[in-house]
Amino acid sequence: MTDTKTTTTRRSALKTLAGGAAALPLWARYTHAQTAEPIKIGFQVHSTGIGAAYGRWYGRTTEAAAALINEAGGINGRPVEIIAEDDGTDPRRGAEVVEKFANQHGCDIGFGTLFSHVVMGSAPRAGELKLPYFVVSEGHHVASGALNRWTLQPGITDVKSQVTAMAPFISGTLGKKVTMIYPDYAFGHDHRDNLKPAIEAAGGEVVGMIPIPPTETSFTRYFPQIPRDTEVLYHVMIGPAVLTFVKELGEFFGPSAPAIFGFIDSLEAVDLSSPGLEFLDGTYFWEGMPRYSQGNNEYDAFYREKVGVDDNGASVSDPSDVSTYAHMFGCWETLHIVKAGMEAAGYSGPGDRQALIEAVEAMTDMPQSNEHPQGAKVFNGKTHQVFGHQYISKVEGGRLNVVHTASIEDGMYPDEVDYTTMSF
Amino acid sequence: MKPSRRSLLYKTIPLLLPVKAQAHASEQGLVLLLPTDVYTGAGVAAVVATVLLLAFAPAGLMRRLFASLPLWRWRPGVWPEITSTLSFLFLSVVVAAGFLGPRDPLANPLPLTVWTVFWVALVTLQGLFGDLWRWLNPWSGPLLLLRRVLGPWPVYRIRGTWPGALTFLAFAGFLLADPAPSDPDRLATMVALYWLAMFFLACVFGPRWLRRGEGLTLALTAYARLGVFARRGGRLRAGLPGWQIATRGAGAGLALISVLLLGSGSFDGVNETFWWLTRLGLNPFEFPGRSAIVPQTLLGLILCNLLLIAVLALSLWLGLRLARSGMTLTRAFILFAPSMLPIALGYHVAHYFTSFLVDGQYALVAISDPFLTGADLLGLGDFYVSTGFFNTTDSVRRIFLTQAGAVVAGHVLAVLVAHAIAVRAFGGHRRAALSQAPLAVFMIAYTLFGLWLLSSPRF
Repeated sequence: MTDTKTTTTRRSALKTLAGGAAALPLWARYTHAQTAEPIKIGFQVHSTGIGAAYGRWYGRTTEAAAALINEAGGINGRPVEIIAEDDGTDPRRGAEVVEKFANQHGCDIGFGTLFSHVVMGSAPRAGELKLPYFVVSEGHHVASGALNRWTLQPGITDVKSQVTAMAPFISGTLGKKVTMIYPDYAFGHDHRDNLKPAIEAAGGEVVGMIPIPPTETSFTRYFPQIPRDTEVLYHVMIGPAVLTFVKELGEFFGPSAPAIFGFIDSLEAVDLSSPGLEFLDGTYFWEGMPRYSQGNNEYDAFYREKVGVDDNGASVSDPSDVSTYAHMFGCWETLHIVKAGMEAAGYSGPGDRQALIEAVEAMTDMPQSNEHPQGAKVFNGKTHQVFGHQYISKVEGGRLNVVHTASIEDGMYPDEVDYTTMSF
Repeated sequence: MKPSRRSLLYKTIPLLLPVKAQAHASEQGLVLLLPTDVYTGAGVAAVVATVLLLAFAPAGLMRRLFASLPLWRWRPGVWPEITSTLSFLFLSVVVAAGFLGPRDPLANPLPLTVWTVFWVALVTLQGLFGDLWRWLNPWSGPLLLLRRVLGPWPVYRIRGTWPGALTFLAFAGFLLADPAPSDPDRLATMVALYWLAMFFLACVFGPRWLRRGEGLTLALTAYARLGVFARRGGRLRAGLPGWQIATRGAGAGLALISVLLLGSGSFDGVNETFWWLTRLGLNPFEFPGRSAIVPQTLLGLILCNLLLIAVLALSLWLGLRLARSGMTLTRAFILFAPSMLPIALGYHVAHYFTSFLVDGQYALVAISDPFLTGADLLGLGDFYVSTGFFNTTDSVRRIFLTQAGAVVAGHVLAVLVAHAIAVRAFGGHRRAALSQAPLAVFMIAYTLFGLWLLSSPRF
C-alpha cells in the first residue's frame, strides 16, 4: 500500500503547518533556511456548508502538496504555511475570508476556492486588495472575462472546455443523435447551450432537449419525451436524486437502452461497487482525472501515495471513503504552479505579488509530471485559464475504465478576454 | 454531496457562464434508493400499535412500567461545584484556543467542544442518563467560589422561567441562523460574552438564575428528567426513561422548554429540506449560503415553535372535551407538554447522528493532540477522518435505520409517558385513553413528519 511516513494525515499536516512556535522545529526538518519566514498561503476552504464533502478532500490534497513542497526545501528556501479559513460555502463569507488573508493573517496569496458562487463573491475583493487569488473551481467565470487580473485558474480546466472536448467522442463513437436531459436552471442551461454547437460541429445532431425541474425526485414520466431515434442520452442531473434518475432510466429502457453519458460530478465519492448500483454498469462518464488507477501513469501513482488514496480512488484507511478524485488534483497542481511562479518571479514578499501574477501569465506548456499528475496542460496567460486532457470512462464491473482521452486541442475555444491588457 | 453553483450574484452578470455542479449523490442519494416508504410505514405502525395497546392495557400497567428502583443513598455534597469549576477552567482553555488556535473549525478545539462534545454528545447523554450538567456546567462552581470568598450578598428574586426560554431561543437562533457559528474567533467571542452575561446575572439573581434564566441549563435540566437515573429523597434511583416525568408533576418552565426543544429541533430538520428552500424561493442547487437567509431562518424558527404550541394546545383542548374534564387548558399544557421531551431527544439523536459520525472523528484527533504539539495521547497513529459510511448502500441503510429508530422510539416513549400522566391526572383508565386520543393522533402524525424529514431530499 502506502508508505505512511510520507503521506499526510490531518494531524501530521497540522504538526507541519500550524502557526506558532510549537511547529517551528518541525518546519526546520523540511527546510534549508531554518530562520526563514514562511510563505503564507491562505486556503479558502469549504469546511462547512454545502461544499463540505469537497472541502475535506481539497484540504487533504492541499496538505499533502504543501508537505511535499516543504520536504523539498519549500519555496525560494522558505517553508510554506497553509492558513485554512472556512468560508461556509457562502459568497459573502468568502469575501470576508479574502480580507482576513490580506489584512489579518498577512498571507502572500489566496488559494483553493471551489464553488463558483463563492469565487464570484470573493474575487472582486481579492482584486481590490491586490491579493493573487488562485481558484480551483472549474467555473468558466475566469476565462469569460468576468473577473480581474488578480484571479487565475491555472490548475484545473473549466467546464466550457470540458463540455466542448466531450462532443467529438460522443458523436464519433457513441452515436450521432443525442438527447439532452438537464436540470432546468442556469447550470443545466450552460450545458445545453455549450454542448449543442459542439455536437453539431462534430457532425452530430441534438434531437431532443428535456429540461427537468431541479428538485424533481422521480423521472419516469419524462422518459416518454425521449425521441425514439436517440442514440446517446447526455444527462447532467445532480443532487441526491441522480442515482434514482439513472436507476429509473435503466428500468425504462431495459436491455435496449441507448448509450448513457454523464458527468462524474453526479457520482463523485459514491462507491460504484456498492450493492444496488448495478444499474450504472455500461454507462459513460466524464472524469477530470480517472478515479480508478489505469496502471499506466507513474505520476498518478506518486500523487495517490502522497495524498493517501488507493488504486480505487478511496482513502488508504477506508476503502469505502471514496475521494473527490476528479477535482481535487487541481489543488495539488495549483500549489506547484504557485511554487514555480514564485521561483520564476524571485518572490520575496507581498511587494512582489504583481511579479508573481506576471510570472504565471508567462507560463505556457506544463508537461505531465509529479507536479501535474492529471496530465499535460497548456496555460493561456491572456484568459488566466489552463487547458488539459479530459477523460471518458465506462462503468464496468463496479469500476470506471478510461475508454477515451480527449486531446488538449479538443477542449480549446476562442479567447473571450485578455487580462494582460488590464491594469493591476 | 451538495450541489450549488451560481449565486444570486450571477444575475448581475450579463454573460451566461458555464458552471460546474459539485453534486454529491452519496448518502441522501442512497437514502432515496432505500425502501423508505416501507420503513416509514413500519415506524408509524409501531406508534399506532402502542396507542392501541394502551387503550386496552390494565390500569396498573403505567404505575408498574414507570416504577423506579432505589439504588443507594447519595449526597454529592460540594463535588458538583468542584467539577463545575474544573469545567469552567476547561472552557477557558478552549475559548483561548478559539482565539489563538487554528482557523479551521474542524481543527480548532472550541467548535468541536461546543457543537460536537457539548451540544450533540452531552445533551444526548443527559437525556439518556440524567443530570450530568449539574456536574459539568461552567457557572455553578465559580459562583459558589465567589460567594465563599466575598460572603453571601442579597440577590433579586427571579419570577418565572421566561428569561430561560428566551436565552434558549437566542441560542437556537445562533445555532441555526448565524452565518458562521463554527468560526473559531466568532464562537470564542460569543461563548465568552454569554458566559460573562450569565455569570453576572447569576450574581444579581442568585444561583436560581441558572435554572430559570439560563436557557442551556433550563434545556439540559429538562432533558435530565428523561434520564434513567435521578436522586429522590437522598437516594439515587433508576427507572425506565421518562419515569421522572411520568411520576412527578411539572412546572410551567419545564412545559415551555419541552415544547421549545421539540419545535426548534424540528425546524433544524425542516430548514435543510429542499421543500423549505423552495418555500424561500431558492433553488437548493444554487444555495447562496447561510448569510443570505438569516431573517428567514429566524422567522422560520419562531413560526415553527408557535405552530407546535398551537397544534399541541388544540390536541389537548380536544382531549379535555372528549374526556369531559374540567381541567383548564393551561393546566393540561403544563402537565402534558413534558411528554414532548422523548420526541425532542429522538430528533436530536437522529438529526445529529451523521454529523457526529464525522465531527466525532475530528474531535478525537483534537483530543489526541490538544495543543498541536504532535502528541498522540489516544494512540491514533496516522489517522484519516473518513466519511466512507455515507458512500455504500449497506452503511447508509444502517445509518438511516438508526435515525429512524431514534425517532420512533422517542414517539413510543412519548405516548407511554403521556398516557401515564393522563392516568395519574384523570384517575380512570378509560377517561385517560379518551383524553389522549387527539394527542395520540398528533404523535402519530409527528412520527410520519419525522420520518419524512429523514427520507426527503435535503442537504
